[in-house]
Amino acid sequence: MVQYNFKRITVVPPGKDFIDIILSRTQRQTPTVVHKGYSISRIRQFYMRKVKYTQSNFYEKLSTVIDEFPRLDDIHPFYGDLLHVLYNKDHYKLALGQINTARNIIAKIAKDYLRLLKYGDSLYRCKCLKVAALGRMCTVIKRISPSLAYLEQIRQHMARLPSIDPNTRTLLICGYPNVGKSSFMNKITRADVDVQPYAFTTKSLFVGHADYKYLRYQVIDTPGILDRPFEDRNIIEMCSITALAHLRAAVLFFLDISGSCGYSIAQQAALFHSIKSLFMNKPLVIVCNKTDLMPLEKLSEEDMKLVMEMKAEAMKTLAQGGEPNEEGVLLTMSTLTEEGVIAVKNAACERLLDQRVEIKMKSKKINDCLNRFHVAMPKPRDNKERPPCIPQAVLEARANAAAAKEKKKLERKLEKDLENENGGAGVYSVSLKKHYLLADDEWKEDILPEILDGHNVADFLDPDILQRCEELEREEGLRLEEEAAQEAFQIDGHELTEEQREILGQIRKKKALLIQEHRMKKRTAESRPIVPRKFDKDRTFTTDRMGRQLASMGFDPSAAVDRARSRSRGRKRDRSLSRAGTDGDDMDIDGQQSNKKLRARSRSRSRSKSRPPEEVVPGEGFRDSDQKKKAIKKAKDSVKKRNKEARRGEADRVIPTLKPKHLFSGKRTLGKTSRR
Amino acid sequence: MPQGDYIELHQKRHGRRLDYEERKRKREAREVHKRSRNARELLGAKGKRFAKKRYAEKAQMKKTLKMHDESTSRQKVDNVQEGALPPYLLDRDQTQRAKVLSNTIKQKRAEKAGKWEVPLPKVRPVAEEEMFKVLRTGKRKTKQWKRMVTKATFVGPGFTRKPPKYERFIRPTGLRFTKAHVTHPELKCTFNLDIISVKKNPNGQMYTSLGVLTRGTIIEVNVSELGLVTPAGKVVWGKYAQVTNNPEMDGCINAVLLV
Repeated sequence: MVQYNFKRITVVPPGKDFIDIILSRTQRQTPTVVHKGYSISRIRQFYMRKVKYTQSNFYEKLSTVIDEFPRLDDIHPFYGDLLHVLYNKDHYKLALGQINTARNIIAKIAKDYLRLLKYGDSLYRCKCLKVAALGRMCTVIKRISPSLAYLEQIRQHMARLPSIDPNTRTLLICGYPNVGKSSFMNKITRADVDVQPYAFTTKSLFVGHADYKYLRYQVIDTPGILDRPFEDRNIIEMCSITALAHLRAAVLFFLDISGSCGYSIAQQAALFHSIKSLFMNKPLVIVCNKTDLMPLEKLSEEDMKLVMEMKAEAMKTLAQGGEPNEEGVLLTMSTLTEEGVIAVKNAACERLLDQRVEIKMKSKKINDCLNRFHVAMPKPRDNKERPPCIPQAVLEARANAAAAKEKKKLERKLEKDLENENGGAGVYSVSLKKHYLLADDEWKEDILPEILDGHNVADFLDPDILQRCEELEREEGLRLEEEAAQEAFQIDGHELTEEQREILGQIRKKKALLIQEHRMKKRTAESRPIVPRKFDKDRTFTTDRMGRQLASMGFDPSAAVDRARSRSRGRKRDRSLSRAGTDGDDMDIDGQQSNKKLRARSRSRSRSKSRPPEEVVPGEGFRDSDQKKKAIKKAKDSVKKRNKEARRGEADRVIPTLKPKHLFSGKRTLGKTSRR
Repeated sequence: MPQGDYIELHQKRHGRRLDYEERKRKREAREVHKRSRNARELLGAKGKRFAKKRYAEKAQMKKTLKMHDESTSRQKVDNVQEGALPPYLLDRDQTQRAKVLSNTIKQKRAEKAGKWEVPLPKVRPVAEEEMFKVLRTGKRKTKQWKRMVTKATFVGPGFTRKPPKYERFIRPTGLRFTKAHVTHPELKCTFNLDIISVKKNPNGQMYTSLGVLTRGTIIEVNVSELGLVTPAGKVVWGKYAQVTNNPEMDGCINAVLLV
């Protein structure tokens, strides 16, 4: 769908401004400093850039003009003709053609001068060539400045054209000048058209919009038409003729039956007959206006005859299949008293809608839609009654089910019934506490606070608190018993001999010491890195020793030793191939290991392992992994020395001297600070 | 949505702002201040354009004022006839030359010399370094016998280049011209005409034979388009013209027809 909006055309600057715009743009957007001492290729490039840039700007600007102005052959014939009437097609095309030629000439000039600039051997010569090139381009523009001025005027006028959509539902108001077209327009739409008591108040097309049956109708007010030969008509009248000729709309032909417009009914009828051909295939309504001055019935006989003739013609315009519909062809109204205005609008809209639907139904496209839907209306074959057949058993079952439902309903009271009993919806509120499962039914209605003493009660809710409480109590009882036993023993302590007491003291001392030691260890052990065994120079903490100690204490040391060995810091996670291979075997053989250890092992295995560096990847160029290992070793050896000497590399972090002292202090003579 | 002359319509219906006239007057009164500020403060290309426009306006204004003054101011009438003598010479007679013979010879010589009287009798001599660019050739670029013409040239339509080994002078295609803008001094019209040949280059015979077009060069142009006729009634098609610009600077050839 093409939208006809001529408001977006960019401004066409007049020739002089055009040149100023382009040249100042070149001045601003290209470099401006060049010296004789530069290499000649640089000088050439400097001036070539200027020429090329100017040309491309001219090209761009002229192209927008050419592209944005509508081509009269491409747009809707209504607009094509309207623009022709208003601006003269030949002149318009000539102007655009001139601009197109100018664009090409400028391109050619730029091409020629760029070629000449390639042979420029001095700054002066290059500059002269640039000046000549730009000058010639500007001259070309100067020559087309009348065309530019013309296009600018057209643009301004086109922007003010009403945006008429030639394809929508349209009502077209036409008639002699001063018969009340614009007044009618003001009555049925919100368009604020000027109404004055002289002819040709409306000098161009005006658009308004009206609603009928939830559809939007475009109402076009046209300037008045005089009854004279086609060639003599002026531009204002031609606008109306164009609209009449090209828009598929309902035409409202206005008739001033009072004759206060200055034209008799006979004259108006003559106009009607002369432009009759423009009404073909359009719903036509003849509107007799100004009935407040002269009702239709009081018309003289001759005039009445003329009106009836017109009516007969109007019925013929629409080649309808059926009987021509008499209603809605001749209507009377008065825009002053607003009598019959709405009736006229409705009639016109109705007829237009009918016609459009009919056309649509006749068109080819409708078949694509119509064959998709089908409304089936079966006709009765005969008078025989054919009720649906339901088996007896089903009927019985249904009856039973209904009875059971009824019975159930009687048995149990539903919430719905309760609601109805207690005041109906909106009054009755459902009690949610009714179905609580509690030890005592009386508790159901108790009020349970959500927050108590600033705590959320739900947080402290424990379903089996009673059970735990019981457990605790049982434990307490046990302990009490034990304590009692202990007390009995303590009491026994008093009866110890001196020697025994000493031993007891020693035991207690040792115990305290052990606890202290343990605490010390515990405090530091977490954060302390594991020291590799090689640094345990004294070999104080060996498994042997532990085994011996445990054995002396009367334990079987083997499990503890195993455990300690498994926990000790072994080799790091390894990537070598050989170890990975043997590892698997180990697992199978090692049968005596405990389950726990097996599990730990398997867990560590499941971790992903990256490719060992010595593995040969196809494409690296090594024969086998041995060769690659050798190569890696060599590479490491080569950097060993440098690394040892700690030479600075590019990977090292560098903190540059941000403000070197020598640049920021002391007296200065010549030169800038940054150049010292 | 605006349609038609909505501004005019609004003015017609509701009139103008109450202070419209005063605002307009003030705006006009401010205009001079604004212009003087612009004249003082605009810089660069904008300033240049402004000054040029203002100068043209002022010049126009002065002319108009003078034209209006003409009716009142007095002017000296100064229409002296051709060949009029001052009063102190009125009583003298024309002297007769005694040596008639030598005089005619002199006149003939002058006539002969006058055959080449051209619009540009003198031109700046062009040095060889300016005319030619030395091209270094050879594998090591040590040989320097080749020259490239740096000026615009005319090359006949049937020209074929020599093999590079023997080609001493190169006339680059980018600088070859075949057309000239020729002005007819009496008709005061300019035509774009084909060049037929280079008659004479003032800088020397060699340049003439090379077809170099510099300022002052006499060229032969095809004037058949102009429809000039000889006294005998034949159509003239070749005529001489003198180049009046530096073609390599302007990218075109301007010439004056010698009539």
